[in-house]
Amino acid sequence: MTLIIVLILVAIIGYAVLCYNGLISQIESVRNNQKQIDIQLDRRFKVFESLINVVKKYMDYEQTTLKDVVALRNQAQQAQASGDEKTRIAAENKISNIASGLNVVFEQYPDLKANQNVMQLQEEIVSTENKLAYAKQSYNDSVERYNANKKSFPTTLIVSAFSAKVDFDFPYWQLSEQKIAEQESYTVQL
Amino acid sequence: MADELQHYAVSPADWRRTLRQNNYRTYIIITLFFLIYCAIGLLVDMYMATTYYPQATIPQLFHALITFKIFPLATSIMLIIAGVSLFVSYILYDKLMLLGTEYHEISPGNFQSVPEQQLYNVVEEMKIAAGLRYMPKVFIIDADYMNAFASGYSEKSAMVAITRGLMEKLNRDELQAVMAHELSHIRHLDIKLTLTASLLSNLTIMALDMLFYNAIFSGGGRRDGEDSRSRNGLLMIIVVLRYLLPVISVLLLLYLSRTRELMADAGSVELMRTNQPLASALMKISDDHTQNRDKYNAEYKQTPHENVRREAYIYDPTQAGIESVASVSELFSTHPSLEARLAALGFKIKK
Repeated sequence: MTLIIVLILVAIIGYAVLCYNGLISQIESVRNNQKQIDIQLDRRFKVFESLINVVKKYMDYEQTTLKDVVALRNQAQQAQASGDEKTRIAAENKISNIASGLNVVFEQYPDLKANQNVMQLQEEIVSTENKLAYAKQSYNDSVERYNANKKSFPTTLIVSAFSAKVDFDFPYWQLSEQKIAEQESYTVQL
Repeated sequence: MADELQHYAVSPADWRRTLRQNNYRTYIIITLFFLIYCAIGLLVDMYMATTYYPQATIPQLFHALITFKIFPLATSIMLIIAGVSLFVSYILYDKLMLLGTEYHEISPGNFQSVPEQQLYNVVEEMKIAAGLRYMPKVFIIDADYMNAFASGYSEKSAMVAITRGLMEKLNRDELQAVMAHELSHIRHLDIKLTLTASLLSNLTIMALDMLFYNAIFSGGGRRDGEDSRSRNGLLMIIVVLRYLLPVISVLLLLYLSRTRELMADAGSVELMRTNQPLASALMKISDDHTQNRDKYNAEYKQTPHENVRREAYIYDPTQAGIESVASVSELFSTHPSLEARLAALGFKIKK
């Protein structure tokens, strides 16, 4: 009889340990995915720099653009350092706009469009914007997995027992209400 | 909407449910394989035990074995053999998958063309979306037919390979959907899973075969009066299983691989959050195989060891009537039909 009780206790403790470790690894993957967004933002800036260097040979367009991108980038980094997410996202979004502007510029220069380097860089722009979007998606997915696990029974018992270590509130990556309204009413003007 | 899909009605794909369902099915199948393996081991043990305890009935022997009154020697040995051979095959497997093909690896810095760069980018994007920690190796197989497969028994040693035909004929989104399907195989650990299942089933059949021939041919050497009832009973079971089990394990393996294909399709939708590119890619691949059947038949035939990859491919060439890939024991497709896959993706033929 005592053997059975001991076995049940061991099983319960083992299960609790597994749950706890599962939560820890989910928390870390959320954090990692959060940083992945930063990595992609950083990468995007580098791609743009090299892109603008190539375009330089073909037009005057770049001088101001390059300065704009660098200025926006500094703005974003300062905002990040001071924890001002709003300014940071605004700056990053402006860089996105410049990117789509560049693709339109390419269409007007046939020999630029045919340039192998430019073709590669265009592919890089598409890919960079995609990577950024997928990094955000991946971050949200990991937040979903963590939240679902955290709130489900019986894991929630363990969360309340060790709330300092395993209970975090990660926000989903999302646009602000105002931004959503702006984007929804946005139409392409040709 | 792509032309290929104009005859289909679209509904959103519930990838969460597909993943859950098929995950559940996988557990059942793997447990079944393991149980069958242990059961055959116990059968061998029981057969051996009848030599020492000719009077014992089958249930008595079974009970004695599972309570360790008689040590289940054969079962233990078989489990050790399974463990060792699984380990060895995990080590050798990656080398096996590209056997016989003309291929080259692509990596940043040695792109030969923009499509290659695009392919690498697409894989990297999907790697980010899937949250994989390691970038899989990307290989291009120099062949005209459209196909792709993933391999590797862990995230770290993962690779994806794609034929030049597929890379050139699909647009960026479709390519991305195919790569998402392949990366889903990697993150679902499908390669490890199907490898384990097929190894277990092969070992089971081998053990049963040995037992069968042993029982048949050693039967004559027995002294009179030693004949036990349970031995005869076991002999019957062995003979029946000898013919039944191979069929059962082939069916189970096929069910498993179809289940995993549907899961990878759902995983592709999960990563891209849209079901349309994968559906149109599958249609393109299937149409292309049907149109160029004779040419591809020759090409698949020219490539040695094509049956190694058949299960791993995104599209089973036998479905287009390309038979050079199939061997005699594989009368059925390893993949669900195109209609079933499209239906699971949310595309149903308009009546």
